[in-house]
Amino acid sequence: MRPSHGGGQGVKFTGPRRVQPSDVALPDGYRIEAVASGLTFPTGVAFDDSGTPYVVESGYSYGERWTTPRLVRVEPGGRVAVVATGGRNGPWNGVAYGHGAFWVAEGGELEGGRILRISRDGKIDRVVEGLPSLGDHHTDGPAIGSDGWIYFGQGTATNSAVVGEDNAKFGWLPRHPEFHDIPCKDVTLAGRNYESSDPVHPGGAKVRTGAYSPFGTPTAAGAVVRGKVPCNGAILRVRQEGGAPELVAWGFRNPFGLAFAPDGTLYVAENGYDDRGSRPVHGAADVIWAVKPGAWYGWPDFSAGRRLDEGDSFDPPGKPKPEPVLSPAPGQPPQPVAALGVHSSSNGIDFSRSEGFGHRGELFVAQFGDMAPNAGKTLNPVGYRVKRLNVETGISDDFATNRGPVAGPASRIGNGGLERPVAVRFDPAGTALYVVDFGVMTMGPQGPAPQPETGVLWRITRTGRASR
Amino acid sequence: MILEKNGRRKRAERIAILSAAPLLAGLFVLVGCGSARRSEPIAGPFHAATPEIERGQRAFMQYCNPCHTGGEASFAPALNNKPAPGFLIKLQVRAGLGAMPRFPQSVISPRELDNIVAYLKAIRHHKPKAGEVHG
Repeated sequence: MRPSHGGGQGVKFTGPRRVQPSDVALPDGYRIEAVASGLTFPTGVAFDDSGTPYVVESGYSYGERWTTPRLVRVEPGGRVAVVATGGRNGPWNGVAYGHGAFWVAEGGELEGGRILRISRDGKIDRVVEGLPSLGDHHTDGPAIGSDGWIYFGQGTATNSAVVGEDNAKFGWLPRHPEFHDIPCKDVTLAGRNYESSDPVHPGGAKVRTGAYSPFGTPTAAGAVVRGKVPCNGAILRVRQEGGAPELVAWGFRNPFGLAFAPDGTLYVAENGYDDRGSRPVHGAADVIWAVKPGAWYGWPDFSAGRRLDEGDSFDPPGKPKPEPVLSPAPGQPPQPVAALGVHSSSNGIDFSRSEGFGHRGELFVAQFGDMAPNAGKTLNPVGYRVKRLNVETGISDDFATNRGPVAGPASRIGNGGLERPVAVRFDPAGTALYVVDFGVMTMGPQGPAPQPETGVLWRITRTGRASR
Repeated sequence: MILEKNGRRKRAERIAILSAAPLLAGLFVLVGCGSARRSEPIAGPFHAATPEIERGQRAFMQYCNPCHTGGEASFAPALNNKPAPGFLIKLQVRAGLGAMPRFPQSVISPRELDNIVAYLKAIRHHKPKAGEVHG
């Protein structure tokens, strides 16, 4: 059996990061340049009324690496000026600009998720706080709707609804042993429980844990878990002046990227299941969805509209089939717009709106790249590029990818191209696509090893007639 | 009786795929040496020459793309640089092999599978531009 060969595995990064735009392949008629470099864990870009780009640096990365969350303005020449800084409650996952202010999703690894309003002079107000964001996945987005509301994603605490040893590896289970997923509406459990060692009390007896329950708490068939908002695995929205968040749709795993299409439809990029933890799921795609208000999208018992126990598609090799933890299912999920690469970590998204750039109406997707072997085995690197997707046909293709016989992050293939694209955003004119590159994150024996000051903001523009 | 027939068919498919496995493995080793990269930045835009290939591309995106992204080396092995004949591709899709799941007719119809094979054969000939795949 072939071992895993993820893009971050076996990479010895000594730095500094080399940045070489010519190492990135693009379709004919486009060019790429580095706008700013030396950023630490950047996750999003937005533009003010004058078209000046601003970047958020997350302040926290997988691997339990803590820095200072920042909103920085990118000056001509690539220098950055700090507009606002946050506390020890990252990751700041994405930024949007509208209503004269910046809107930041504060991931809330220590104190819970928040939506922040940051004025142009750096004053921070909490629009929403107390979001259930202490686990694997955080508060994400945001995006501003034509209705003026701020839309955002709230990821799940766990991989597939069951707290297990994998959550201790993330770092949060010893901090918050009571934390678990919260459904948005009432759900009825099938009563399946999963045995694991107890990393909270090493050396102790094995424990059994059920879905939507604290670690070590078994569940019974027919038990009803009461839903409430805010909840996990959901898209929520809040008025710009604050107030209680409202549920838009639920049943997502990690709805990281949100964008409104030119016709006003909300699209979301969802990170699919990992092959890890007490209830591993094999071969689950990352998914692009068109969001129907009120709908349930299938987590934790469906992937991309298919039941996890249907056939053998999602059976992890050598491990039990992922049987449903809900009975009955809350509904039948919609069909996805597209299923993207397993473990590709398809994150930030945006639509092209201009013939000046081309591909008008198509969705661009930043793929952070796999986190193998922690997220599961992969035979080759997955992601590490920017995709474009025709949302009508479901056909996707690369738009920006490193040159070479095989794909992968620059640190692995030895060039100066892309590392881990995490967000994309068109400038207000629609003629330049900015790509936020998180920087180098290798995967070592201790898990993720993110490298500060290796993030890059790239800009892609059209130089001539595109090939289609 | 139907269950028994289905069971026999599945066993026959398993036997067939196991018989074909050495041939498939040989193809992977002997011929899987060229780059499988076929995406637009590397190989230029792909234009489906026939409606069958176009339908096959859509079906590929729906069923195959998550594991064999773009037909390149990704979560699962590359497909674009393997000259497997159509019958072997169909056999593997129906019966699965190793970590690859089975896709019965209830999931991928015979026509869809024909289209996928047509697309896979077409994408093989969509070769990288000069200089793009040398590391």
